[in-house]
Amino acid sequence: MNAIECSHVTRNYGSQKALEDFSLSLPPGSIYGFLGRNASGKTTLIRMLIGLMWPDQGEIQVLGKNPRDFSVEDRQKIGYLSEKQILPPALKIGQLVDFCRPLYPKWDDSLIQRLSDRFSLDPKKKIKELSNGQQRQVGFMLALAPKPDLLILDEPASTLDVVARREFLDEILELIREENRTVLFSTHILSDVERIADRVGILKEGKLVINESLDSLKENVKQIRFTSRDGSAPKIELPNTYRTKRDRQELLITARVDHPDQIQSIATNAGCNYEILSLNLEDLFVEISSKNI
Amino acid sequence: MIFNLNPNGGVPLYRQIAQQLRGRIVSGQIASGEQIPSARELSTQLKVNPLTIQKVYQILEHEGLVETRRGLGTFVVEGAKNNSAKEKLALLHPSIHQLISEAIPLGIDAETLTQEIERHFKHSKLSQHRERKS
Repeated sequence: MNAIECSHVTRNYGSQKALEDFSLSLPPGSIYGFLGRNASGKTTLIRMLIGLMWPDQGEIQVLGKNPRDFSVEDRQKIGYLSEKQILPPALKIGQLVDFCRPLYPKWDDSLIQRLSDRFSLDPKKKIKELSNGQQRQVGFMLALAPKPDLLILDEPASTLDVVARREFLDEILELIREENRTVLFSTHILSDVERIADRVGILKEGKLVINESLDSLKENVKQIRFTSRDGSAPKIELPNTYRTKRDRQELLITARVDHPDQIQSIATNAGCNYEILSLNLEDLFVEISSKNI
Repeated sequence: MIFNLNPNGGVPLYRQIAQQLRGRIVSGQIASGEQIPSARELSTQLKVNPLTIQKVYQILEHEGLVETRRGLGTFVVEGAKNNSAKEKLALLHPSIHQLISEAIPLGIDAETLTQEIERHFKHSKLSQHRERKS
C-alpha cells in the first residue's frame, strides 16, 4: 500500500485552477521534496492530503483511506505542520506538550526531551516569548513526537537558522530510519531537499511537471550549450525541452537527455559544437519553473 | 572514513559516495576482507537518505568490490584491489569527461587528443619512474 495515492486530482478556487490533473504515488519509506514557486498549488495539495479540503475531481488515498473518511486513529498516524501555524500564545511550551501528549497513543517523550535540548527550548517559556524560528521548532517537535507513519510538513524550515535546519534534517532522517515511515515536505530551500530527499516533485501552475528520483532528475535533465561554428544563430530544437535561451551564436537548452549520442548527431547536422552541462537542483528548478524568455 | 560530499552539485550524491568508496577499495586503503560500515551507520554519519547508501552498496556489490554476508555485514571482497582494472579506469572517468568537454568546443578531435595524451605520458616523470620500477 502506498502512503499517498492521488489520481487525477483537480481543485479550483472559483474560476481559478489551483491544481490540475494531479497524480502521485508515494511508496512508504520515501522522503519526498515537494517544490514549486509561490501559488503553484503546494499548500492546496497538502491541505487535501490531510482532509482540510476536498478535491473537485479525482481520488485521494492517504495511508489507504480517503481523507474524507479519516477516523481519529487515522489522524493519529499523520503528523502535520502547517505553513502558518498558530500556537496558543499564553501557554508555556511544557503545558502545550502536556496538552498534546494524551491525544496520541505512540507519543515519544524522549524525543521531546532530545529536541528541547537540541533546539535549546525552555519548557517554562511561553509561546509568545519565543521568536518565530523557536515557535517553528516547537511546532516541528509536536508534529514528530506522535511518531507518525506519515509526516507532512508545509514550509517547515523557512524561519529556521542554518544550524537549526541541520538539526531538523537529522530528525527527519532519524524518523525515516525507523520502520517504513514516509515524509512529504514542501520547501523553497532546495539544498535541504538535495541532502535528504530521495524523490522530488515540481509543481508548475498547478501541474506536476517533475515527479521522479532526485538522482534520475540530475542524471537525465541537462543543459546543452550549442555554439555554431560559422557565427550564425544555431537552429536546433530538442524534444522534452524545459527552457531555451538564445544569444547570437549560442543556444542554451535545458532538456531531458535520454541519449547523449543523439545530441551529438543533431549538433553535427546543424554545424555546431556542443557541451552537456550538469545542473544542481536549484538550477534545475529555475530552468523548469521559469517561463521561456 | 571521512567523505567529501557536495549535495548541492550536479553529480548525484550516490555517485559521489560510490566514487570515494571505490577509490579507497581499489587503492587498498580499505583492505581485502575488511568490514565497511552498514548502510544505516553510514547514512547516519553522512546525514543522507539511507536509500542513497543502499544504492551505493548495490553498485559496489555489482562491481564485485564488496559483498554482504547475511547477518554479519558488508565486507570488501578478497582480491578486490587486484581484480579491479575496470574500476581503476572508472576512477578517471570524471577527469576524462572534463577533458573531452573542454576539447570539443576547441574543435580538437579524438585522435589529436589521444596523441597529445600519449606525448604527455612519455614525458611524465611519474610514468618513467613506474617503468623503471617494473
